[in-house]
Amino acid sequence: MSDQVVEVAGLRVFVGGRALVDGVSFGLGPGEVVALVGASGSGKTTTGLALLGEVPAGAEVSGRVRVKGRAGFVPQHPGAVLNPVRRVGSVLRELAPVADVERAVDVARFPRSLLGRYPHQLSGGQQQRLVLAQALLCDPAVVVADEPTTGLDRGTRDEVVAEFARLAGRGVALVVLSHDMDVVRALADHVVVLRAGKVIESGRAAEVLLNPKHPYTRALLVEPVRSAAESEHGAERLRIEGLTAHHGRNVVLDDVSFAVSAGECLAVMGRSGSGKTTLARCVVGLHPPTAGTVALDGRPLARTLRSRDRADLAAIQYVFQDARASFDHRRPVLDQVARTAALLRGMSTADSVAAAIAALAEVRVDESTARRRPATLSGGELHRAALARALLAQPRVLVCDEITTGLDAVTRASVLKGLAALRETHGVTLVVITHDHAVADHLADRVVTLHEGRVTAGAPRTRSETP
Amino acid sequence: MTLGRYTCRRLLLGSVQVLAVLVAVFLLVEALPGDAAVALAGDNPDPARVAAIRSAMGLENPAAQRFATWLGGLLSGDLGSSLVSDRPVTEFIAAGLPTTLLLAGVTLLLLVPSSVLLGVFVARRAGGRVDRVVTAATIGLHAVPEFALAIVLVALFGVELGWLPPTALGADPLADPAVLVLPVLVLLARPLCAVTRLVRAAMVDALASDYVRHARRLGLTRARVDYAHALPNALAPAVQQLARTTDWLLGGVIVVEAVFVLPGLGTSLVDAVAGRDMPVVQGLAVLFGVTTVLVNLAADIIAFRLAPRAGSAA
Repeated sequence: MSDQVVEVAGLRVFVGGRALVDGVSFGLGPGEVVALVGASGSGKTTTGLALLGEVPAGAEVSGRVRVKGRAGFVPQHPGAVLNPVRRVGSVLRELAPVADVERAVDVARFPRSLLGRYPHQLSGGQQQRLVLAQALLCDPAVVVADEPTTGLDRGTRDEVVAEFARLAGRGVALVVLSHDMDVVRALADHVVVLRAGKVIESGRAAEVLLNPKHPYTRALLVEPVRSAAESEHGAERLRIEGLTAHHGRNVVLDDVSFAVSAGECLAVMGRSGSGKTTLARCVVGLHPPTAGTVALDGRPLARTLRSRDRADLAAIQYVFQDARASFDHRRPVLDQVARTAALLRGMSTADSVAAAIAALAEVRVDESTARRRPATLSGGELHRAALARALLAQPRVLVCDEITTGLDAVTRASVLKGLAALRETHGVTLVVITHDHAVADHLADRVVTLHEGRVTAGAPRTRSETP
Repeated sequence: MTLGRYTCRRLLLGSVQVLAVLVAVFLLVEALPGDAAVALAGDNPDPARVAAIRSAMGLENPAAQRFATWLGGLLSGDLGSSLVSDRPVTEFIAAGLPTTLLLAGVTLLLLVPSSVLLGVFVARRAGGRVDRVVTAATIGLHAVPEFALAIVLVALFGVELGWLPPTALGADPLADPAVLVLPVLVLLARPLCAVTRLVRAAMVDALASDYVRHARRLGLTRARVDYAHALPNALAPAVQQLARTTDWLLGGVIVVEAVFVLPGLGTSLVDAVAGRDMPVVQGLAVLFGVTTVLVNLAADIIAFRLAPRAGSAA
């Protein structure tokens, strides 16, 4: 056992008497890959960070964590760990000589031409690859990857998985924290299943994944069920015509047109950087288009958020990709969710809080959790709270940007079911921005594919089609 | 939006602001009750003097024509002549400017590094004893007005201990730098407190951010993380405050000039107002107004570089 790179024995992390991690043990040698899987809030990230020597403020830690050599980290939300005022290339060159930097960015498939940019000028996928390049530069003995494929399209995800596999092949131990069972299957030698900080099942990947003993593991492995919503679509709800948008001089959207009916679900797919998010931002008014119109129920909407009235604001709601960044970290989550009802539906404070509690309960966030500040909630919990916040406005169109990334299979299934129900009962139109074919297959009636700002495919999808 | 485009837009706005300042300064004279010449001639107007002022200021011409003449003069560097001594206004400015520039320059040269370093120093020890002592001291010192601090320093170091000259009366500051020590200390005190507190607050936020935590994970040294990663994010509010301070210093801080008998621009302005010497007042007002616009223009451009995201949201 002495050749092990990582050894974790009986790790316990308590914050204020609440167990985040309760007796986790595992070890791995050079080139081995262990996957920590579990629902959001199960203690995966806390365990992963413990390998880097980081524990939450005020936590009591017991047990043993030993890492031979350096530990690199690829975090879940790469956008938050990149310095907003530094050009990305200059930060990399601080870590290593230019030749090493160029090799690392090539290995991580980060385009060299983007090294002079600021982080906010990169797409989510590009940020992810940049953070991977940073981790590789430090010559780590073990890399902890927290949801490494979050926000990546299928092609890029496969590349990243292949890169991690090559990394392991070179003798770097890998700890993958993931909900994405495809990634776990492709990479992991060992799987540790966590629930509420406890290990409920662990063993060789093949055994755990093929023959799970614990019912919770089986639930995690289940693919989400396709919504049964075979609804008759109503009148045209949202029409995009000739939409063109720029970021600076770059054309991000080029003459995009499509229409979505009431109760219909449209998936907008495309690789990272294809303009999916900008399209969504134009629809809700966060990004003023250069040309073209967005019409709701036949009436053109103002180009920017500020010039739309309250009813229009409520009618189109947006669920952001980075849920944590969409909350004010100083105020309790419940207050922020309730604010939607107060602002957009004119409810009193007491009524809005009651409505918020009900909406949060529907997405399985209980009241005591919601009364805390965002920092103490897990990524998945915040994702669900963000969804509840959008639904509270009773929107006619819900725009979801990579809504299921960062959700485990169990939560994802329930969110998808919730969205399907929403379409049936309220005739809400869904526009789902996603790279995840599974989501598009399960939820969408139609798929629009963007490539470099143009619509390349927009054929209606029949239910029998398989990916 | 790129830095270049932002700068162009900001320069355009700056020139509009300068034009507005010029119009406002010109209207100062127009706003005087009745005829400006009568108002300027004093309590017992001598008709000959009123007529002289009237023709000196060209008051018999229409306002638009006078404005055009005045503006043309400004562009060629001619700010008119004093009504009291008939010397060109530029001479008044030339007399006060070196002292003001020297005081402002020395003060800023000391202020910027000391306040930033002190802010970072206490932010790295946030919540500790050093932090609390410095915070209490900066709040206390900031509460002391310039004239009070000046009088206390003069009484202590100039009169009681005799270490430093109490005034700069008759001395050449360049030949005898000791006369500058007390005025610079007084000018430094409050801006130092303000900027230090701003840097400290922003630095505490930056040090708690995810990107700083991640930079530490990457194995960068603590000094590098603090100064190259956290500090650039913490400087934006301090830059705006420094712009206000620079503007204040370049306007000639009259209280300090009066206590230490330093003939700067503040003294020129007070003398001109007391003597109802309107062209000099106008000339100085134009100088101060343009300085304010330029200093804030520079600060905005620096702040834009320090917060590149703000541009893309606009």
